[in-house]
Parts: sequence; structure tokens; C-alpha cells
Amino acid sequence: MKKIEDLNYYELLEVSTTASSQEIHKAYERIRRVYEPNSVALYSLFTPEETDAIQQRIEDAYRTLVYEDNRRRYDALLRERNELPELPPLPAQQRYQSPAYPPAYAAPAVNRPSERTEPLQNAAPSQQMQEAVAPMSQLISEFTGPTIKLLREQKGLTLRNVADTTKLGTRYLEFLENEVFAKLPARAYIRGFLMLYAKVLGCDPMRMSNDYLKRYDLAINSLKK
Amino acid sequence: MIEIQDALRKKEIWAIGGGKGGIGKSLITGNIGITLARMKKKVLLVDADLGGANLHTTLGIGVPEMTLSDFLNRRVENIQDVIIKTSIPNLSLVSGAQDFLDAANPNFAQKTRLLRHLETLDADYILLDLGAGTSFNILDFFLFSDHGILVVLPEPTAIENAYRFIKSAFYRRFKKVVANQNIKDLIDAAMDQKNNMGIRTPYDLIERVKSMEREVGEILELEVLKFKPKLIVNQVRTKNDIQIGFSMKSACHKYFGINVEYLGYVEYDDCVWQSIRSKRPLAIEYPYSRPSRCIERIVHNLLRKEQLTLSMLY
Repeated sequence: MKKIEDLNYYELLEVSTTASSQEIHKAYERIRRVYEPNSVALYSLFTPEETDAIQQRIEDAYRTLVYEDNRRRYDALLRERNELPELPPLPAQQRYQSPAYPPAYAAPAVNRPSERTEPLQNAAPSQQMQEAVAPMSQLISEFTGPTIKLLREQKGLTLRNVADTTKLGTRYLEFLENEVFAKLPARAYIRGFLMLYAKVLGCDPMRMSNDYLKRYDLAINSLKK
Repeated sequence: MIEIQDALRKKEIWAIGGGKGGIGKSLITGNIGITLARMKKKVLLVDADLGGANLHTTLGIGVPEMTLSDFLNRRVENIQDVIIKTSIPNLSLVSGAQDFLDAANPNFAQKTRLLRHLETLDADYILLDLGAGTSFNILDFFLFSDHGILVVLPEPTAIENAYRFIKSAFYRRFKKVVANQNIKDLIDAAMDQKNNMGIRTPYDLIERVKSMEREVGEILELEVLKFKPKLIVNQVRTKNDIQIGFSMKSACHKYFGINVEYLGYVEYDDCVWQSIRSKRPLAIEYPYSRPSRCIERIVHNLLRKEQLTLSMLY
């Protein structure tokens, strides 16, 4: 049993420590509404000052967990306190890194982890991986659904990761990869999807979308005939 | 063979309370009973609302001849004698006391006799319809049951009373497991929200008890984990009202440290008051209405030991 002030940010937002940024955002939206000043569900349980304090902590929690860099630092801090199981450091590319926004990171000064807690090896592997993959994508003669899938898997990305970054639904990503053309939206949208996806994979967006759409046109035209 | 099955059959006692009056405890109890009876379960409804009994009315039964007060005052020896068969197969009722003064406040001996007899009864499910308030009798029935179910309306008054009920039940349970008189006094003092010892939440109390006697504090912590009241939100009109159940669950977890299970909600509908006016049970008069459906869902959740999850809403 923990006092509300002692809950860590994950417990406060009621998410698992492996939650994606989308899940964290959703949880934050929900929890924020639960602990808003006039929330009827809290009636008689907390004083206004207590609700204020909880709200402030919820904001801190969200700003810490939703930005990848801040979250990594916070995770490191939790590991030091043994609140999080020790994980082998993930290759940097496995998680999409959103840029950290320093002003938004409003954790109390005591909790603010110093820069050195950040794992140092992070920058290097990501560059190595990029170099390793980049020639691959140039070797590819044609971008088809399965090649895209292969590229993604080589990068160690799951559909979920790509979905988080591109804000595309996992279903559409699957349709793209499996070339389920009938279930994809209009051509113009597919082009947009592919441009976004190509950026995540580090490929040339124009080449990837042109190649893919050529196959798409062929398939659609043969269907019409 | 049948006898063996009867002996093996696990009887469950459910108590339906909620602190505030007029929030639909009797209505929900009655209709949960009917829904269970329809599923071929043997159900006994007990109107434990001593002093304000009207479960029989929600079932469409007039003032019964034999009531709980006959049993409490030893006019009959066995509780079997006050059980009334209803027109619904598998459903029987022990009607609440109709006397004016005494029955509302049974003494300790009467209460233990009642609870002892309840345990011997042959039924799959015994449903206790509790009265309003947080008197010791009501709390004891609630704690005695296998599942304590709280009914709440999406209104500040009902929510306030529900929290007070949870807190009272919680501290009463604490007091029962503690032998040390000093700690008992401490729990009593902690019940007063404005106590001058700085004990605001159950967490504070447990910390204080731990500083006095470490083992007792740990026992109390275990009790916290074991205490899992269930929640039903009644008279739901909007999606936000449904959300209140989840919010209360979150608040209870953070404030009391207890895991409340959100069983479900009952939608507001005119057919509910119409059925009460016509003195016919909702589940029989309007079986396909939304409130009836909601109650069916609650019963399913109860039987499967499940609860509502957020993902079901969207």
C-alpha cells in the first residue's frame, strides 16, 4: 500500500511500465478528468488543496512519460530506486524517439535527474544502425509490401512502433505490408501513408511511394478488367 | 446423490448496501434475485433493512404474514418458518420486520442468531438487502457476506455516503481483527475526520499502528488487500455517469488502497418508476428494457467474477 504522494508516475497514471506513448496519452486524458477540481467522483474524499497537488503531479507525470527522452531518464531513476526491473538497454531504434522539449519537463527540481543518468551509448548505435540499413534500401530494386515489412523487421520495429510514430492505424499498416489493396483507402491517402512510413524506415519517400503505387495501379486495373 | 450435490454446492451470500437511502438497493436486489432465479439458481432474498423493509413491495407481494421480526423475537424458532415462496420459481423471500421500534435495533444475540441461521439455509444465493446508513448492524451484515455490493448514484450526496460507508466498513473490519485495546481506541479516533493526530487516510492509520505494533499493522495491510467491495452505479443518464464508476475505482485505490470492482451500471429509464407504481417487478414487467438488460449484465459479471473495463465503453 502506497501513499498517493509516493506513487510513481506509472502508478499515478495507472499504466504499465511498458505502455506506449499513445496509451500514456489516453490514460492521462482519463486520469486528469478524474482528478479535476469539481470531479463528482471525488466528492468528500480529497480537500481542494489535495486535488490541486494530485493534478500537478499528474501533469508532471504526463510530461515526463510522454516524451521519450524524459521517460528514459525517469526510468533510469526508477531503476536506481529498484522500482523498475532492470532491462537490457534497448537498441535506440526500437523505440521511436520524439524530440524532448526541455521547457515542458516540469518535474520538481529534486526529482530532476542529472544529464549523466542518460545512457551514453544511445547515440552511437542508432547511427550505426542507420548506416547498416541505408545501403540495404538502396539495393532494393522495387518496394513491395513484403519488402517494406522486411525493412521494418530489420530495423527491429513493430507495427505498433510505426503506428505510434506515423499516427497511422496498425490495421492500415498491415494492409500496406500485405498488399491488401481492396481494404486500403483512396490512392492519394496511400501515397501519404507511404511517405510517412518511408521516413520511419529511413528510405527515400518518393521512390518507395512511386514503386508501391505502380504495383497498386497494376493490381487495381487488373481487377477492373 | 442429490444430497451429496447439495452438500457440495457452494452457497454465496451477497449483501447490497450503499449508505444513502432511496438509491435503488431494494430494486436492484429484487431484480438480481429474479434474474438469478430465471437462471435456475435457488435464490433467497432477505430483507435486512430492519425498520424500513420494503423488498416485498418491489417484488409485488403484499405485507407478509411471517416476517423477520417473528424470528428475531422468537415467535418462531427456525428461520425456515418465515420464508415465503414467491410466484417466481426458485425465488423465496424472508420479509423484513414490520414492527415499529425493537426490530430496527436487534441486540447482539439476535443478530448472531440471524447470521448463524442464514448460514444453514439451503440456497445457491442468499441476497441481503441492507438498509441505509452506516449503523453497526448494517456494516456487520455487509462484512459477513461473501460479496459486498455498493449501490451509488452519480450524485455528490450518494457518493459522499458511499465513501463514508466504505470507510466505516473498513474500520469496523479493522477493529474486528485487532485485539489490543489501545489500537482499537486509535481506530475509533481515526474515524473522526477532524482528529488531531493527523490521521487522514487509512494509510496514515496503518502507519501509526505499525509504529505501535508492527505485526498488527501488517495484518491490517493484508485486510486492506482482502477487502474488495463491488460497485454498481444506478440511474445512469450519460456516458460521463458511467465513467464515475471508473473514477471512484481509481479514487478508492489511491485513497483507501482498496480494489473496488466495478460490476456495472443501471441506466435511468421511466419504466423503473412505472414498474414500482404498478407494484410489479421490473424484470417481469419490462424484461427487455435497458435497466433490465443492465441488471442481467451485472449478474453475469457477478457469476463470472468479472467487472467492467474501460475498453468495453469505447
